[in-house]
Amino acid sequence: MASSIPVKEKKLMEVKVGELPGWILMRDFTPKGIAGAFQRGYYRYYNKYINVKEGGVAGISMVLVAYVLFNYCHSYKELTHERLHKYH
Amino acid sequence: MNENLFASFAAPSMMGLPIVVLIVMFPSVLFPTPSRLINNRLISIQQWLIQLTSKQMLAIHNQKGRTWALMLMSLILFIGSTNLLGLLPHSFTPTTQLSMNLGMAIPLWAGTVITGFRYKTKVSLAHFLPQGTPLPLIPMLVVIETISLLIQPMALAVRLTANITAGHLLIHLIGGATLALINISVTTAFITFIILILLTILEFAVALIQAYVFTLLVSLYLHDNT
Repeated sequence: MASSIPVKEKKLMEVKVGELPGWILMRDFTPKGIAGAFQRGYYRYYNKYINVKEGGVAGISMVLVAYVLFNYCHSYKELTHERLHKYH
Repeated sequence: MNENLFASFAAPSMMGLPIVVLIVMFPSVLFPTPSRLINNRLISIQQWLIQLTSKQMLAIHNQKGRTWALMLMSLILFIGSTNLLGLLPHSFTPTTQLSMNLGMAIPLWAGTVITGFRYKTKVSLAHFLPQGTPLPLIPMLVVIETISLLIQPMALAVRLTANITAGHLLIHLIGGATLALINISVTTAFITFIILILLTILEFAVALIQAYVFTLLVSLYLHDNT
């Protein structure tokens, strides 16, 4: 089904489910594109939670919790042996 | 248990890629650059803290020593933030690696010594002999002062590594002991838990203090040599 706007320029929420594989393949996967995506994501988070007039502790604590979860996922393999063994 | 105890100090790598680089660069995300005159709360708090610390730390230096201000402030920020982030569960602290601390200590100490020798050669050499020593003691004292000079970078690096590593190890051990004691006797486990809480408070303080001490000593070496 053809849409009025070309698929490439639509945002994710406006892409129809049938067009999703085509949309994903058309994204910019060059290093410059990936760097741009990281930068956009960073500024989106920063301007929403930290760079506001009355930012609270939530802005930075979400980052710290994400850091803890990332490290937990990374050391999951060593930790699975550590459950309630009789001898460690 | 031995393998588990020291496994948290190994440099993390994902499928062979060293993500330790990412972890070393992570604290910089928490210090945004100020772009306006009046910034958001996070930046304002950090600016206030940096001003407080830099005023106190650079008060003893003359004009030449104050050119090191950026270096000293970024040093204390880096070590402080890295140590504090290492207190979060499951995280990796880069300052537990002796390699990194040596990499910080040796160039900075060498910089101060070479600055001293280059601009004030006589005064720097005169530091090797304290005033008013009796004549027979002079050769021995020069040797001792040389050794104490050469050991300064080693002491800087090993002090930081040993303090942070020992703190982390103690937390691991006492936490493990608390967990193991729950099945045996709840009161002992409770006492051990109180010890754990006190130890964590100490570790927060140690994290900051070690950063301060490192930077202070570097600035003292600088003061001697400018």
